[in-house]
Amino acid sequence: MDRKTILTELKKVLAPYTENKEMLDGINEDTDLIRDLKINSANLVDIIIDAESTYNIEIDFDSADRMYKVGSCIDVIIEKMNQSA
Amino acid sequence: MRSTGNDIVALALVNKQRTSQFRFYSKILSVSEQKLYHQPELQQLPFENYVWLLWSVKESAYKYLKRLDPTLIFSPTNIIIQHIVIPGLSFDESVAAQWESTCEDAGLYSGKVVHGPHTLYFRAKINEAWIASVVNDDECFDHVCWGVKSIDNAGYKYQSLEARLALINKLNGFLQGDLRIEKSSVGYPVIVNYDEETGVPASLAHDGYFVAYSFVLSSDIVLT
Repeated sequence: MDRKTILTELKKVLAPYTENKEMLDGINEDTDLIRDLKINSANLVDIIIDAESTYNIEIDFDSADRMYKVGSCIDVIIEKMNQSA
Repeated sequence: MRSTGNDIVALALVNKQRTSQFRFYSKILSVSEQKLYHQPELQQLPFENYVWLLWSVKESAYKYLKRLDPTLIFSPTNIIIQHIVIPGLSFDESVAAQWESTCEDAGLYSGKVVHGPHTLYFRAKINEAWIASVVNDDECFDHVCWGVKSIDNAGYKYQSLEARLALINKLNGFLQGDLRIEKSSVGYPVIVNYDEETGVPASLAHDGYFVAYSFVLSSDIVLT
């Protein structure tokens, strides 16, 4: 799965947690989940759990700390998918 | 450098079932905090409230420390609550449209939170609608002013505006002038009076239909 495909899937994971749908449509790897998408930090764990289910991976504490920008989310997802392959 | 940090969790937005799943709460609670819940005094607190109480305190501590170290990344399991004191009063079922801290409030949770070399102290209030918390670097909270207000619209822009308004309205009781709030490059609020920074550390939070604020008064003003 390439980065572009993961980004498209990631939009679906993020959608329930942002009211900024316009920004969500145009996200790129530099988009910050809290600052740009206005996602409440209390939903970050929800997003991590949803990403685990979507990609059938397990995201540990250290990796979860990196999931604040779309690009780093994709890095973590690819890393974990490769580990479980 | 003085600092403050606060947070609020709207309990109506909490997914109780998900919160009670290990794979969820283990991303928030450290192993020692999972064990801490088994102390008998804490059993009166529903587990989902325990998880979100600790989340809230960790958020507050993060906001406090972020002002001191702008490079800090929020890592819930690395901010450790070591000790929790249960309030003397039983669970507060009343949900007022507006709540403000007082020195005599016997209905507050309190305790110690540690991140690396930093030791902070917290106060927290829980009722049916929300969990609010604030942290300080001293066990005495006589100079820490914090409060919660309900709002009519849970849209992000409205939440942000109402949180700022609640803070300014409360600050106006202590500082005279033309107060307004700017945002630092890191993201925390900066209180400005007649275009000059006041040096009053402040923090804002919102979730669902609630906004919350905290600020620290100078040592010559004591909260009553």
